[in-house]
Amino acid sequence: MESASVPLPHGAGGHAAEHEHHGPPEANQSSRIDRQTLGILLFIISEVMLFGSFFASYFFLRVVVNPAAWPPHPFELPVGVAGMNTAILVSSSFTIHYALEGIRKGNKQAMKLGLALTWLLGLTFLFVQINEYVHLGFSIRTESFGTIFYSLTGLHGAHVFIGLTLLTAATIRAFRGHFDKEPEKHLGVEVPGIYWHFVDIMWIIVFATVYIL
Amino acid sequence: MVATFTRPGWYRAALCTVLAAAFGVGLVVLLRSISGLPAFQSEQTGYPQVVVPLILAPLGFLLGIGCFDYWLRWGVGARTIPEDHSSHGAYSWKDYFKVNTDHKVIGVQYVVTSFVFFLIGGLIAMLIRAELAQPGTQIVGAGTFNGLFSTHAVLMIFVFIIPMFAGMANYVLPLMIGAPDMAFPRLNALSYWMLPLAGIMFLASFLAPGGAFDAGWTGYAPLSTGAPLGQSFFNIGVQFAGFSSIFTALNFLVTIITMRAPGMTFWRMPLLVWANLSTSLLVVAATPFISGAQFMVLLDRVLHTNFFQFGAGGDVISYQHIFWFYSHPAVYIMILPGFGIISEVISVHARKPIFGYRLMALALIGIVVLSYSVWAHHMFVAGMFSWLRVPMMLTTLLIAVPTGIKIFSWLGTLYFGKIHTKSTAMLFALAMIVTFTIGGISGVMLGMVPFDIHVSDTYFIVAHIHFVLFGGSVFTIFAGLYHWFPKMTGRMYDERLGRIHFWGTLIGTWGTFIPMHWVGMDGMPRRVADYAAQFGNWNLMISCFAFLLGAVQLIFVYNMIVSWRFGPKAPANPWGGKSIEWLVSSPPPVFNFDEIPRVVGGPYEYGIPGARHAIMPGEGAEIPVTRETVVGS
Ligand code: HEM
Ligand SMILES: [Cu+2]
Repeated sequence: MESASVPLPHGAGGHAAEHEHHGPPEANQSSRIDRQTLGILLFIISEVMLFGSFFASYFFLRVVVNPAAWPPHPFELPVGVAGMNTAILVSSSFTIHYALEGIRKGNKQAMKLGLALTWLLGLTFLFVQINEYVHLGFSIRTESFGTIFYSLTGLHGAHVFIGLTLLTAATIRAFRGHFDKEPEKHLGVEVPGIYWHFVDIMWIIVFATVYIL
Repeated sequence: MVATFTRPGWYRAALCTVLAAAFGVGLVVLLRSISGLPAFQSEQTGYPQVVVPLILAPLGFLLGIGCFDYWLRWGVGARTIPEDHSSHGAYSWKDYFKVNTDHKVIGVQYVVTSFVFFLIGGLIAMLIRAELAQPGTQIVGAGTFNGLFSTHAVLMIFVFIIPMFAGMANYVLPLMIGAPDMAFPRLNALSYWMLPLAGIMFLASFLAPGGAFDAGWTGYAPLSTGAPLGQSFFNIGVQFAGFSSIFTALNFLVTIITMRAPGMTFWRMPLLVWANLSTSLLVVAATPFISGAQFMVLLDRVLHTNFFQFGAGGDVISYQHIFWFYSHPAVYIMILPGFGIISEVISVHARKPIFGYRLMALALIGIVVLSYSVWAHHMFVAGMFSWLRVPMMLTTLLIAVPTGIKIFSWLGTLYFGKIHTKSTAMLFALAMIVTFTIGGISGVMLGMVPFDIHVSDTYFIVAHIHFVLFGGSVFTIFAGLYHWFPKMTGRMYDERLGRIHFWGTLIGTWGTFIPMHWVGMDGMPRRVADYAAQFGNWNLMISCFAFLLGAVQLIFVYNMIVSWRFGPKAPANPWGGKSIEWLVSSPPPVFNFDEIPRVVGGPYEYGIPGARHAIMPGEGAEIPVTRETVVGS
């Protein structure tokens, strides 16, 4: 049986099987929210707290220790390039929204286009970021500033990578025609979509803290 | 031949582990030679050629054993294998060594695995007590001693108490709320398989050059950032244990919120379910902080970053803030599920509804909220902001209020109840109330800044943590294991051996940990292999009781193993419980229910004529014959 749900497993599909027992009974749905959406939201809470621990460290290193120069001389952060990169990531939130709106109305073409665009934009973001790393001139060992700069942006980069992995799966399945209009038939796009919005919003917070404040 | 290595299982797991480790070494060597560095680096804090494989090899194992198969197939758009439930239920002991998606099998896997780590951790504790039996050096040197008490604590906390509770809840919680399984069975299996990996990693640190990690379970920087290689095993092992408990918590939350049986409103949930709901909230939101803290230590160690390096602008104290922001909530992660177990056991065996049921649930939520506001009570002498001390003292005293509510509520439940002590579970529950209360009181004492300054880093702290963790958490674990043993195995255990185990454990616990209060207040430091001669007699006595405590656990092991195999068949409902897990057979059917039961009342309406909690499918009005129908009439 081909199922088009998200990668997170189903409790019990209720499909009869050639086993010495019949399958499990269908669970009672005791909440309006479906399992996969609730699961990803809770996971995002965990992720926010993981970022929180690094923001806490940022606070200690910058505010409590209060070093003379932040960033240390003679380094500077390329706010312009990062700002452009921010624009790229923010626009990818719109393209994933476009993909979702598409499949909700049953427009598979729009979904495919939106997913592919989102994927490309995410990849561009990562490349720009790596390029920026190469040209910064300071390393993760350059005082506490270098440490927290690379770990916050790197942690975020790792999340872009996870998001891209989810999107890759969604895109492949979209092009293979696995999703459809009914809500339970495109959870595999909805859930990566929620995660992608989180990655996006998190970047705005990281960007504002690290580059602008 | 090829099929042996392509099918999920132990062969493929071994192959993938080796390949992943080799890939890790190769990656390090490659990257280092590209950057013009020598291929291998063996400063004591470095060893990237060990650290990277240490992260990748467990992932390889998980891949090989089959935790990711379904998701990978899904991800590449392949046909997902039809759900034939072949990885569901256990038909022989071999099924317990496979990736299984049945919450009952996973529950047993969890319980047995974490109990093995309890025995290993206990053995290490015996070594510690042997060393401390007399002043001077007995059997191990000071360095080894540091490794022993660190691994003891880490095994007990991360791979015994926390996952043991997760395992018991895994087994009974879906049954209690009338769900056929957990919300995400495959994620559940993945969570389980990360647990033995974490435990093995902690133990493997003994083999590392420089010995096991020895900076205590707290792993404070800069002690940990400069420690030998073993410390990296701790940093990485904690990540696996941490992800395991985050995923389990997420699974519990989704299961509890979306899969309750019809009629099971939040105010009809058994308190064990409430307890796991609140524990899971703590885990989901707090555990990432220890993940973060250990990542930072690992980066400081391997990449020589400056999170905690004072000379380069790092902040040493920030480690403690981030660590305790997880680890204070963690102490509640280690007791709240136990509170749930005690509520179940007490009301069944006192044949009375829980006194103040709603307040019990609200007290749990109160503890969850408050426990994020007390972390710095572990840091009164650390040199942190001095203005933070008094606020933390006040919140610490405040959090004792909801904890006290729970204690009084159990007493209220017992008051005028028909207390049956036929079951060892009830003995442990009653003993837990007394013992834990003493630990709670010493906790409130420690919350007072002046007193805490006096006893910081002495044996008084050791007394406190063991009264709450052994007299609290471990007693609740035993209560739970005795209580649900008939349900899990379908057999009855030997009550007489249970009793011997109980009294031995109680006497051993009190004999071991009460005197620690006195020597602590007199200034005997914790975490040191030697001590002043004046404490010699007390310590000899403590060690003797500790050996008694260790020895009686063997009776428990014997009782459980022999009863599991040869014990008399257990009835469905040996204690006359009302919650749903008692309304199915022992052990429950593979898919729990033919049809989902209907919940029609509260879970604890003992002694109320005609009261029902749930109606099982195909059941008319007839009430199963239980002790309740005999006692209650
Ligand atoms: C009424 C409730 C409690 C209060 C007010 C309380 C208070 C405290 C305080 C103030 C300390 C710090 C002592 C110091 O290091 O100077 C402490 C340590 C500790 N507490 Fe509690 N506690 C309570 C309950 C618990 C519970 C329920 C647990 C676990 C089940 C627990 C486990 C621990 C542990 C493990 C430590 C030692 C940490 C270390 O290794 O330094 N406590 N407690
Ligand atoms: Cu605490």
